[in-house]
Amino acid sequence: MHPLERLIDLVALLLEARRPLTFDDIRELIPAYQQQDVSSAKRMFERDKDILREVGIPVELDATDAWEVEQGYRIRKDQYYLPEVAFTAEEVWALFVAAHTPGESGEAEQAFQKLSAGTETNVLTAMADRTPAPGVDPSGPHLGAIADALARRRAIRFRYRPTQGKPGRREVDPYALVFRSGHWYLVGRDRGHDEVRSFRLSRLLSPVKEAGEASAPPEGFDAARQLEAGPWGLGRPAERARVSFSPKVAWWAVPDVPGAEVLRTRRDGWVEVDVPASQTDAFVSWILSFGPDARVYSPKPIRDEVVARLEAMASG
Amino acid sequence: MAKEGLGPRRTSRASERLSRLLVVVPYVLRHPGVRIDDLTKLFDIEEAELLEDLNLLFMSGLPPYGPGDLIDVQVEEGRVWIDMADYFSRPVRLSRSEALALYLKGKALLGAPGLEEAPALSSALAKIEGGLGEDTLAHLAGRVKVGMGGHAAQALARIRSAVEQRERVEIEYYTAARDELTIRRIDPEHVFSAIGNWYVVAWDHMAGAERLFRADRIKAVRPTGEGFEPRGLLGAGRPLYTRAERDIPVRLLLSPSARWVAEYYEVERAVETDQGSLEVTFPTKELPWVAKLILRLGGEAQIVSPPELAVMVAGTARETLARYRRGGLGEDRKGRAEVHRRGPFRLGLL
Repeated sequence: MHPLERLIDLVALLLEARRPLTFDDIRELIPAYQQQDVSSAKRMFERDKDILREVGIPVELDATDAWEVEQGYRIRKDQYYLPEVAFTAEEVWALFVAAHTPGESGEAEQAFQKLSAGTETNVLTAMADRTPAPGVDPSGPHLGAIADALARRRAIRFRYRPTQGKPGRREVDPYALVFRSGHWYLVGRDRGHDEVRSFRLSRLLSPVKEAGEASAPPEGFDAARQLEAGPWGLGRPAERARVSFSPKVAWWAVPDVPGAEVLRTRRDGWVEVDVPASQTDAFVSWILSFGPDARVYSPKPIRDEVVARLEAMASG
Repeated sequence: MAKEGLGPRRTSRASERLSRLLVVVPYVLRHPGVRIDDLTKLFDIEEAELLEDLNLLFMSGLPPYGPGDLIDVQVEEGRVWIDMADYFSRPVRLSRSEALALYLKGKALLGAPGLEEAPALSSALAKIEGGLGEDTLAHLAGRVKVGMGGHAAQALARIRSAVEQRERVEIEYYTAARDELTIRRIDPEHVFSAIGNWYVVAWDHMAGAERLFRADRIKAVRPTGEGFEPRGLLGAGRPLYTRAERDIPVRLLLSPSARWVAEYYEVERAVETDQGSLEVTFPTKELPWVAKLILRLGGEAQIVSPPELAVMVAGTARETLARYRRGGLGEDRKGRAEVHRRGPFRLGLL
């Protein structure tokens, strides 16, 4: 009997069993376990059981009857079967595209196949003559482990290289995962600093290790606020700045800034805009990144800083 | 009777085949008479392997294999039917790591503004979030958030249809590398998203070569009335930068707060220095964009080479300063309608 045959029979038997089956019960029913040497048959059964668990089949050990004298194995149908989830053809296609974006794809593809086998929608019609057009893999090596910790509410520990300062160890209670501008960020309580911080996954210097149970997010924590970002950095700044852009760049530079308000378009084509701003390096750098195609007018401290940096470099 | 002593390799092979069969069988049960061709495509499996697996399935069933307990498999004229396997009528549920892998890939894909499949993908992911059972993803609801990178490119829909129709188009395009607006005729073959942006892979008739265009830097798309034959250009998963012989090597010393440069651009070499700085080397076809990058980094980047880059940075800084010195808002009288060539004001202001 081929091992695959034996495994299929074992799954069928444990799924259909009305009560947990002992190894002796199983041995009696499946000829492949009926060797002379009971202990080698038992070893083979143990290995088979490991394979079932490895592929995600929940084999349980339970008392065979109310007297609880003997223990036996079974697969509970409500634990085994994929719950009924109905997808439209468009949804199936969208999941197909997602599963086939570049990067480690084995598990995502397997997930897609299971879902498509479990839905009434004709998957092949949904996929007919289309090819997904995915791009670069943004996940990196740590995303799976961090998402898993988030889903199971576990704290984690890792080495991290911040933008400023030296690399060091961090212990974090994960609150959310955020994908912004092509990068994944972990948002959570940094235990060492005792405050909520965000960590870019590409700056992790080590694999993540679990560090016990995670604390719950504080009252009013809203992961969506972590998405509010612009040239000023993270958050929603209170200040505004007046900036103008040359016609060469204004048409793409202005829509890129959340909350930008066009004041007017000058006769020479320059566009004058009111944008959210903060007196930070990030904002000054953003203005400088346009070179002669942008000019900031106010607030004065930002304008002065821009001019000071330009003067330093012009004499360079 | 099975032989003893299955090696670990054999074991993993059996587990792969088992998990595949536990997906294929439910699919065939739901779609009786499905074509073998379609199964191999959908489940990414060789036909010979699939037939071997179906053959073994034919000999399996529910112990003690009474009448009607053996699985019935029929393969005829390239189609498959399976009967007597009701217990396999639904696939096994997703493991958490499988569900996470698909869910996170889907979420990241939503981060590309202008994704055609976005509404369908959002609703599919919401179904997965809640529908796979409490232990799988339920705790993640509301805790994985996606922001849009930049704005949806208006040209995207127009370019997509040009790709589908194999239509040659004329585009007005802002080239960041050379810092200029150009008009060119292109044969667009692919559209794909990467690091929050959409890219168009096309044959560029102006350059006489393959080029990559950022969709949100395309200002206008105009029809030419001509079609084209695709040249089989590389699409998804291609590197964003293609090396060329006349590339200029740039070497910069980045202080810690400028290290993101090494993550954002494809650098060829990155060497840590004792002071916590990073010395990076990367190839470029044009210098103007590097000059602006250095302007942006302020004192956080030092130019190691080439020397003409330092000259260019100082020049760009002076040109920018002139905007502030001349005062007033509409000072740039020469700055308009510089579409085809680099504007003459660049030199005029030096």
